[in-house]
Amino acid sequence: MNSQYATLLDNGPLIQVNRLSKSYSNGHGVISILRGISLEINLGEMVAVMGPSGSGKSTFLFILGLLLPASSGDYYFLGQDVLNLSRADQADFRRRRVGFVFQNCDLFENSTVYENLEFPLIYAQIERQERPEHIVAALERVNLANRLHHPANLLSGGERQRVAVARALVNQPQVILADEPTGQLDRQNGIMVMDYFNRIVSGGETSMVIVTHDPQVAARCHRVFSLEDGLLHEN
Amino acid sequence: MRFSDLLRVSIRQLVRHRRRYWGVMLAIALGTAGFITIITMGRDLKQNFNRDLELLGRATIVKIYFENRPTFQHQKFETATLEALRRMPGVRSASLTVNTHWSIINNKGIEYPFTLLGVDDAFWEVCGFSPQQGKVVSFENNNLRQRVAILGPGLAGTLFDRQDVVGSTLEIQRDLYTVTGVLKDVGLGDLRHFAFIPFTTAQDRIWPISQANRIYLRCLTWDDVDKVVPLIPQVIQASQYAPGLKVEVAWDQVKRVKSVAWWVELFIYSSIAATLVLGGVGIWVVMMAAVRSRTREIGLKKAMGAEDQAIMAQFLAEAVCLSFTASLAGSLMGLVIVEVTSWLIKSHPTQELFLFCVMIGLLVAVGLGVAAGLYPSLRASRMEVVSAIRYE
Repeated sequence: MNSQYATLLDNGPLIQVNRLSKSYSNGHGVISILRGISLEINLGEMVAVMGPSGSGKSTFLFILGLLLPASSGDYYFLGQDVLNLSRADQADFRRRRVGFVFQNCDLFENSTVYENLEFPLIYAQIERQERPEHIVAALERVNLANRLHHPANLLSGGERQRVAVARALVNQPQVILADEPTGQLDRQNGIMVMDYFNRIVSGGETSMVIVTHDPQVAARCHRVFSLEDGLLHEN
Repeated sequence: MRFSDLLRVSIRQLVRHRRRYWGVMLAIALGTAGFITIITMGRDLKQNFNRDLELLGRATIVKIYFENRPTFQHQKFETATLEALRRMPGVRSASLTVNTHWSIINNKGIEYPFTLLGVDDAFWEVCGFSPQQGKVVSFENNNLRQRVAILGPGLAGTLFDRQDVVGSTLEIQRDLYTVTGVLKDVGLGDLRHFAFIPFTTAQDRIWPISQANRIYLRCLTWDDVDKVVPLIPQVIQASQYAPGLKVEVAWDQVKRVKSVAWWVELFIYSSIAATLVLGGVGIWVVMMAAVRSRTREIGLKKAMGAEDQAIMAQFLAEAVCLSFTASLAGSLMGLVIVEVTSWLIKSHPTQELFLFCVMIGLLVAVGLGVAAGLYPSLRASRMEVVSAIRYE
């Protein structure tokens, strides 16, 4: 673990969420999705959030990634209150701190693997000549460096999800937020992706929050939480 | 997002989805090519159009003469005056004439009065007359003061019973003239019954003949008539003493021709504008479709940290690249059309004008891309991330 992250750890948890709530108004009344969730996640930790469909797992993940605003509560990332950031600062937070992996292996069609991984670097204003180094390093972490210029739409399902993981890693974020990352994969590919996740967090420089239905995925995480009736319980 | 990345990503997007954009690009390209062709070739086409319209009316011919009043000394035009008029901007050509009234007795013993006109070699171009038989008075005829005559078709029919009269002889003031041509019976009016001989021959051999007191001047286009006519007295007075000078223009015909041309131009420009607007609407439609079909992509990019402005810039850049590329293709098409048209009508439009039109065409295309791409880009940039990611 490098000194930068050691210092961060000394300062407290990577993610600290206190009494976080989220509710929607649907015209007939207010629906509470999250009701006062509190959670701490440390750097290098891999956390699973389980729960039935519609329990608000993805909503929680999106709030952690600042894709959705919380209705109330506090959210500190490395000690900084991030819920009240401006729209531009939220985008900057996502660029530098967070990587997302979604269920549908969402890659940009009509693009190569390289081009898919280049976008986060473009938005982070990384110089063009420095990008190949970052991209190759990210692909090596998922054993896909040999697919650098392969068209994304010609990859297998497992490979696509590994490219999505590499894309989430390419900006070296401190947390990866994964929404059902193995949901569309067969068992073998699901295990392979989880192996990569374990390898990534084992470096101690990245944490991971995985939303999943799959107990086998949850079993490979350091801590497992259940989200029911808007409340989070540690199993 | 850096400009170089924006451009690269936008061009890549256009190239990879080129099938989606063909129709729009074609509309813009055609509009641009039409604009460039009309503007670049406009003046030359107008001159050609003008020449054809002369058959219907002699709108661009200006008649300049001295009014013979008893109180004036009879005036004549000097050669220097004619040359000065020919050098005026907007003047195609000018011709000096002398005339007299004459009569002739045909082979049946009937006497026919007619007007005898002494003309220089520029007369035919000025008046737009051409022969149906033989040839008109040439520079050589004038230079050698030859006794040749060209007849109006009315006079030719009256004097001779046969159709082919070239080579026949005509006696005027005891001199025999060879008929070298008969004019086409189009737009001649009273001149159907005129006879035309070289200007120099008329001055040498015909008596009495008028002073050289009449100039026919032809403007390049009907638009030049307004500009040239007010300057004619100044130009003439700078060359010679000119009391009783008269300048006669068929203003009604000029007005009518201008009106026709205005409607034609309006129609052409409206068609070009409609094509470009169609292109703009096309851009709007395809960009809206692109925003819809790429909703998940927009969500993903925002999740990666793309700011609203970056998303907006990307879609706007794609719209501008689309219209700009189409306009470039249109410029190439315009170049080909201009070259072919120039060759067909034997004109030489200036390169500066062509380049100016290309610049305007490209600027209009960029404006069109921005205008048509703005709303779809705004819509893309304001998309909520989660809704976009969950879009099916």
